[in-house]
Order: sequence, then structure tokens, then C-alpha cells
Amino acid sequence: MTRRLGPMAVLVLALSACGGVASASDPASAAGSETITLYTSTTQETVDALLAAFGEAHPDITVEVFRAPTGEINARIAAEQREGAVRGDVLWLSDPLSIQQYDADGLLREWTPTELDAVPEAYRTERFWGTRLLNVVLIHGADIDPAPVGWADLADPAYADSVAIIDPGFAGSAFGALGYFATSDEFGFDFYRDLAANGADQLSAPDEVVTGVAEGRYAAGITIETPAQAAVANGSPIEVVWPEPGAIAIYSPIAVFEDAANAAGAETFVDFILSEAGQTIIGDSGFQPIREGVEGPPPQGEQVAPDWPAIFGQSDELLEEYRSIFGG
Amino acid sequence: MAERAGGPAVGAWILVAGALLLLVVLPLVTLVANALADGAGPLATLASDTAIEAWRHSVLVAAAVTVLAVVGGVVGALVTERTDVRGRTLLRLGMVLPLLVPDFVAGFSWLQAYAPGGLTDDLAGVSLPWLAGPIGVVAVLAAGAVPLVYLVVASGLATRAEPELEQAARASGGGRLVAWRTVTIPLAAPSIAAAAALVMVTSMNAFAIPTLLGTPDGFVTMTTRIYRDLAFAADSEAFSRVLALSVLLAGSTLVVMGLADWLLPRATATRTGAPSSSAAGFRRGSWLPAAPLWLYLAVTTAVPLVAVLLTAVTRGIGLPPVPANWTLDHFGEALSSQFATAIGNTLLLAVLAATGALLLGALVAGLGRRHGGRTLGTAVSASFAVPGTVLAVAVLLAYGGLLRDTLWLVLIAYLAKFWALAHRPIGGAVDLMPSEPMHAARASGAGVTTATRTIMIPMLWSTLAAAWLLVFLFALHEVTMSVLLYGPGSQTMAVLILNLQQLGDPTVTAALAVMLTLLTLLAALPLLARRRLLRRLKWR
Repeated sequence: MTRRLGPMAVLVLALSACGGVASASDPASAAGSETITLYTSTTQETVDALLAAFGEAHPDITVEVFRAPTGEINARIAAEQREGAVRGDVLWLSDPLSIQQYDADGLLREWTPTELDAVPEAYRTERFWGTRLLNVVLIHGADIDPAPVGWADLADPAYADSVAIIDPGFAGSAFGALGYFATSDEFGFDFYRDLAANGADQLSAPDEVVTGVAEGRYAAGITIETPAQAAVANGSPIEVVWPEPGAIAIYSPIAVFEDAANAAGAETFVDFILSEAGQTIIGDSGFQPIREGVEGPPPQGEQVAPDWPAIFGQSDELLEEYRSIFGG
Repeated sequence: MAERAGGPAVGAWILVAGALLLLVVLPLVTLVANALADGAGPLATLASDTAIEAWRHSVLVAAAVTVLAVVGGVVGALVTERTDVRGRTLLRLGMVLPLLVPDFVAGFSWLQAYAPGGLTDDLAGVSLPWLAGPIGVVAVLAAGAVPLVYLVVASGLATRAEPELEQAARASGGGRLVAWRTVTIPLAAPSIAAAAALVMVTSMNAFAIPTLLGTPDGFVTMTTRIYRDLAFAADSEAFSRVLALSVLLAGSTLVVMGLADWLLPRATATRTGAPSSSAAGFRRGSWLPAAPLWLYLAVTTAVPLVAVLLTAVTRGIGLPPVPANWTLDHFGEALSSQFATAIGNTLLLAVLAATGALLLGALVAGLGRRHGGRTLGTAVSASFAVPGTVLAVAVLLAYGGLLRDTLWLVLIAYLAKFWALAHRPIGGAVDLMPSEPMHAARASGAGVTTATRTIMIPMLWSTLAAAWLLVFLFALHEVTMSVLLYGPGSQTMAVLILNLQQLGDPTVTAALAVMLTLLTLLAALPLLARRRLLRRLKWR
């Protein structure tokens, strides 16, 4: 019998070693705690600060985070639907167009947040609510002369082959900006056609545009304000412009999944994000809070936005026409 | 002995066969079954322009990288093993050291050094605009593959090719180059061919460098297409393409392996004389042949790594990397909550994968050539050739329903991939081990278990340690499979860095890259400090 012990001992050892994996990846197994899973495209720094405060307020709830660009979250949800059911509890994206597609598919839960009225009516529906505003702005290199002052300037031959824009298939903020430009009387899809004709490059993420302009690879670009201001604070040689006719204000919505395994915990989390405490943290992390009266970076000029409900349901057509211009 | 060893050997055989079935065979069968069950979808995708383009790019990249890496590796091996170059030990170390830099860090570091807006652009106004594109992919992959060729060929030169024959050629009036061309290289041909096959397969399966340097330029290979379709596309057509391309990629790799096996020169030179040191010719202690190699190492490794370090410590993007702009803030920013989870996951996975692969590898090696052990050994070795991308898709399909988003899923893929990595050095050492001590122990009445414990394991100790470390290092670097398998809570360091890089902020990415590279170097110190360990790792 002892001779059989060799391989058996190995097997036992291998199994006990693997036991460590189960407990490490499954915090819910710890007694007296519950877990919620958050799918979000929100900046890591903001998520970290919110999780720390949420953990203090609700030590019994552990939050597992899947943080990725909007496009990657979309793919994950699609894969999970193929396998049976969405595994997340809370969905927090960067733009209303992306989340509205899930709402249309019946993936989002209908309920009423405790402080619903604190969210301005323009920034909420019955199943998702704005948490903060992302301002899509124009940036340019500090030494660029003449500096662009309006969106339309980016199609000027002075910036030929030297403008960077963000990919709406990758970043929700770019999708929101697409919603504005495409449906505005002043711009329309011709704006994108002019940019493409002027040799503009489509990059993926907002930070990539900031990096490209800061390194001097591009003269100017379209990006969101927060990373651009962070780069300015670090001394990067760029300038942030609130362009004519205004920065595009995109509200970043949060929702609970219809199939949430822990709907109660998920609702607690959403309530916290919409509360004054949560909103203050969002303001401190460099984003404009959705609640009025909470401190945050003030708008530096005019803000414009599309009529969101009017373009809900047109996401696919918008993206398709954009793709016919910029590819991807 | 054979009959008395029957019990444990059968147990071990069953264990190994079962593990092979669960880790490799079942996932791959599931993949093929899924591709077939998907009906005409995958077949139609295979014929699509997208798939054909990805396949063509992968094959062209692999071919170009193989040619470049073989030339570089062979030249390097000839210089360190066949000339009296000064600083040989340091040069040997320098040639292998790039293996310790994770490949996505290597790709990122080239961008930081040579891309427009990079270090050389800042300092001298010189940049390589083609770095993001097919040429850049080939260049960086080739630089990473040179150490592999070097290792294989240098050890081939040390054990196979015979300096005496070269000296005879020189004595008969042939110049150094004539001797190399007519004697050294033909004798080293088997190891050169083996190295070429190895590079061909690894570069066809490469993921991190094509995704860093190719994707932004729209240059798509099979691995990056699968990744983009799986991670960024929500439609079912993309999923069909994932299945089809995975099968195609696995098939292409198998064809290359099969061809290599078939064409590889079988005759190996038998050493006639005693091992002797390399041929004379250059003035003793010459720096001359080393200079181009050092320059090459500076361009491909040192400058890029310095560029990453400078990016990590420079306050703002676009500022000149001078001391006035230096800060350690980015390292602080890198220590996010994700970092804590990721570093914990990475270390846990690396330890478990190394330990598991070592046990499994030792089991296969212990079976030796008896009881079908050889067949199993070959099967395990072949599993290393299954591309990581394919393995990950297969594991996801087979176990995703049950284990999605857990570290288990990642661990299964790691074990399947790295098993062979542990098995090969151990198998090699067991083959070379004299059988007398084991016989003596068994004759004195020790059981197989006792004899293994008291004789075999102590004799193999340094090989086992080296194999463990090798798997540990590979697991620290692994990104190809992890990036397809991770979920909330099961992110690894490599995935974290890749994701951050894609988000486009180079400063924090650089800080993380520096930390992971330092961690790797630290873990590899025992290997570097003890040359005996390093020798054990030489690929057969």
C-alpha cells in the first residue's frame, strides 16, 4: 500500500494547493459578508476612492470590480448572455447611449433610488441614473499657433494630419460625443467627414489623445476634460479649451442588472453613489458631480448636449454611419 | 524492477493521463466540437478576407522573425563560444538577459524609446515612425527571439560541434570563416534547425507584441484578431470567427511542428575528443568581436528599458526626462486597489502553476520510457506547441460555464501550457542519470518510493529547482491566456499593465512595468547567480 502512496500523495497535495485558489477568488465564502459585482468604465482612481468610502459605510458588502473600456464591457456582457446569464450586479458606464441599448433589451432592473430627486430630470430614466458629467473638450499643444478655439477649427487645413479623436466603439464618451455631433444641426456627420478629409487619426482611449498631443505627435485633439486637466497639473505642455459652441456634457449612468444575484446589495451601492457622500468623492476625483450643490470642478464655459431621449434607439445607425467614415 | 514498480507506475500513469485529458484534450475537443456545432458559420469566416488577412500576417511575421532571430542568435553564439572574446561571461549573460523582460514590457519599452514622442525623439529628434506597424512587430519579436536561438545554438556548440575539427580545418589552411562555414555551422545544424522551429512557433503564437505594435496601425494577426473579437466585439459573427481562427491557428502551428520534425536533420555528431575550449585566432582577450554584440544589446534592450524607467519617473507626459522633472508619484498612483489584487493573484498563480507543473512534469519524467511513459512525454511536449490563445479559448469553452471569472480557470490554462516546460528539463536530467545508485538502493531493499526520495530527488535537486523557477518566471509574464480568461477579481499584473497601456496613460503603465520587471529579475537571481542551474535549463 505504501507504494501506492507516491502518486496519491501528489494528488492530495495538488488538490489542497488548489483549495487556496477557491478561497482567494471567492470572498463571499467568508462568513457574514455578501458580494456585489460592478461592471464599470469609470476611471480607476474614482472607483478606488468610492470603494474605500463604501467599504467604511457598508463593511458587510464586498465589491468585485470589472473595470474596462465600454467596448470590452459590452463584449463581456454578450459572452455572458451567450453562456446563460449576466453575472454582474451593477452596471456603471460612461454614456447614456451604450446603457440604453441594454435597457432596450430588458437587462436593467426597474426600482426607485432613495434620493431619486437629487438627480436632475434630464439625466435620468426609470432604470438608469446619471452619476457625473464627462465634459468632452478640445485640447492642443501649448506651442500651437494659431490655437483652435471651436470644434469646427479641427477641420481647418492648419491642423491637417495632426488631429486625434476617440473611437466610439471603444470609449463611451466618444459614443456620447458622436450622438451630439451627428444629430446637431450645426455639425452633423459632415463634421466627421471633414475631419477625415483633413487627415484626423482615430485613437482608442481619451488618455491616448492626451498623450499624443502632450508628446507633440498631434497638434490638437478631442478628449474628455478630467485626464487632460490631470496632465496639465503634472506639467504636460497642453492646453484645455472649452470650444465653441460648448463642451459636450455626457452623463455617466448607473443601473442595477435585472438578473442581479444580489439586487439589494446592488441598490445599496447605487444609492451610495447618488448620495451626497458619494457625489462629493466623485467631485474630489476630478469629475463634475450630477447633484447640484456638490463641490466639483466647475464647468469652464458653455455645455452642450444632444436631446438624449430623442436619439435613444438610434445607436446602431449612428455607429454604422460613423464607421463608414472612420472605419474600425 | 519493472514488475515490482508496477503498482505506483500504473497509478502515476493514470494520474498523468487523466491530467492530460482534463487539461489539454478535453478543452481542445470542446473547441473543435463548438466550431463544428456552429455550423457553416466558422467555415464561412475562414474564407473571409478578415481571416485570410490575419493568417497571412501571422505566417509572414513568423517567417521574417525566424530568419532574423536565427542570424542574430547564431552570430551571438559563434562569438561567445568560438572566439576568445573578452568579457565572455558577461556577454553570455547579456545575450540571455532579455528573456527575463516580459514581452509586453519589451514592446512597450521600444515604443517609449523609439516611437515619435519617445526618448530618442526627445533627445536627438530621431524616431522610428514604422515602429507601430508590421516592421516594428517583426523587429521587436526578433529581438526577443534572438536569446532563444542563442541559448539553443550555444549549448549545441558546447556539446555537439567539435573544436578539434575546426582546429584541423584552420591547420589545413582554412580561414576562420571557412572553418565556421564548412565545419562549425554544419555540425550545429541540428540545433539551429530546432531553434528555428521553436522561434517559428512562438512568433506565430505571439500576442503581446502584435497587440501593442500592430493593432494601433490596423495590422492584425490571428492572435490579436481572436483577442479583439473575444474582448471587444459583442456580435455572434465575431464569436464564430474566434472559433474558426482558433482552430486555424492551432492547425498552422501543428503543420510547422510537423514539418520541422520531418525535415530536422536526424544525424547528430558524436563527440570524438574531449571537450576543449574554443578555437584561437583573435588576439587573446579581444574586445573586437564583442563590440557589435554590445551595441546590439544596447539598442534592443538597454535603451528601451532606460526609456521606460524615465517615463515612469517623469512628472508629466511630454516633459523632457531631466532630473528637474523627476518624481516617484506614478509609482504611488500605480498602487491602486487593482494592484494589490493583481500582484496577489500573479504570485499565487505563479507559485501554484510552478508547483503543479513541477509535480506533473516529474511524474511524467518518473514514468521514463516504460509503461507508455514515452508516449505521454511526447504528448505533454506537444501540448506546449498549442498556442496560448487557442488554449485559453478552449479552456474558456470547456470550463467557462463552471469556473468563469475564477483563478481556477487561469490556473488550468497555466498548468496545461507550462507542464511541458517543467517536464523537459526534468526528463532530460532523468535520461542522463546513472541508473546504478537506484539499482543499489532497490537491491538493498528500498521500495520505489524510498529509493526515489533518498536517491533520485537529491540527485535531481538543482534541476527541479531550476524547472520550478522557469515555470514561475513564465507564469509571472503570462498575458496571452490571462487576458482572455480574467474576470472581476482574477486580474493578473500582466493583464493590468496591458489594459492600462491600452487606456493610453504611459506614466503609470511604465511604473508598473518597472515593478514587474524588477520582480522578475529578483525571482531569477537564483538562476543567474548559480550557473549550474542555468546550465540545466538548456533546451534539448
